[in-house]
Amino acid sequence: MKQQDIKTEEKFMSHNAWFSIFMGITLLIISGYPIIGNTSAPLLILGSTAFLGSFLMFVIRGGFTWRMKYHLTYKDEYLNTIDTIAYKHVVLALLFSMGTVYLFSEGLTLHISHSMMATFYLAIMCLVYGISIFWQSRD
Amino acid sequence: MQNNIAKFRKKAGLSQQELADAINVSRKTISTVETNRFTPSVIIALKIARHFNTSVESLFEIEDHD
Repeated sequence: MKQQDIKTEEKFMSHNAWFSIFMGITLLIISGYPIIGNTSAPLLILGSTAFLGSFLMFVIRGGFTWRMKYHLTYKDEYLNTIDTIAYKHVVLALLFSMGTVYLFSEGLTLHISHSMMATFYLAIMCLVYGISIFWQSRD
Repeated sequence: MQNNIAKFRKKAGLSQQELADAINVSRKTISTVETNRFTPSVIIALKIARHFNTSVESLFEIEDHD
């Protein structure tokens, strides 16, 4: 494996973590806003625009092209390890948030739809993945 | 497990990035191994030892509770 490939992987992981955090926050707003505003349509458009904008920004800033292949694992040993641990954190966070929702679901059922809950779970997963990567890759 | 990689690296006048480049790993691998937050594979341990022309035992020290 070339050193350039490792540097590309490091760069990709960093951008991926930022992207996950940004997407998580966007999804969190999308899932939470309708509770306050009683409507989700304007925010869905705003959220989708912000999401697509951030995606394009990271693709351009990261220097990634359409030819770049997506790999499920990183070749560098350390990056691969923290990626695997981050997925474990995601599963734990998902179980914890689902458990919390289960415990308090009686009071929520009248106000919150299934799509909002699904968006909320996705937001938690994205946020935890991004934060976990940054936390583990600190010097 | 303790290691003397930082000591060997500084003695050789190398930065973490230079050592990482020499053995084809990321700089974070070197950084986290030096601070004992990541235990590398045998392959990486052997590569580091070979780079400093020394043995793996002189780089890594196992402790009683390991």
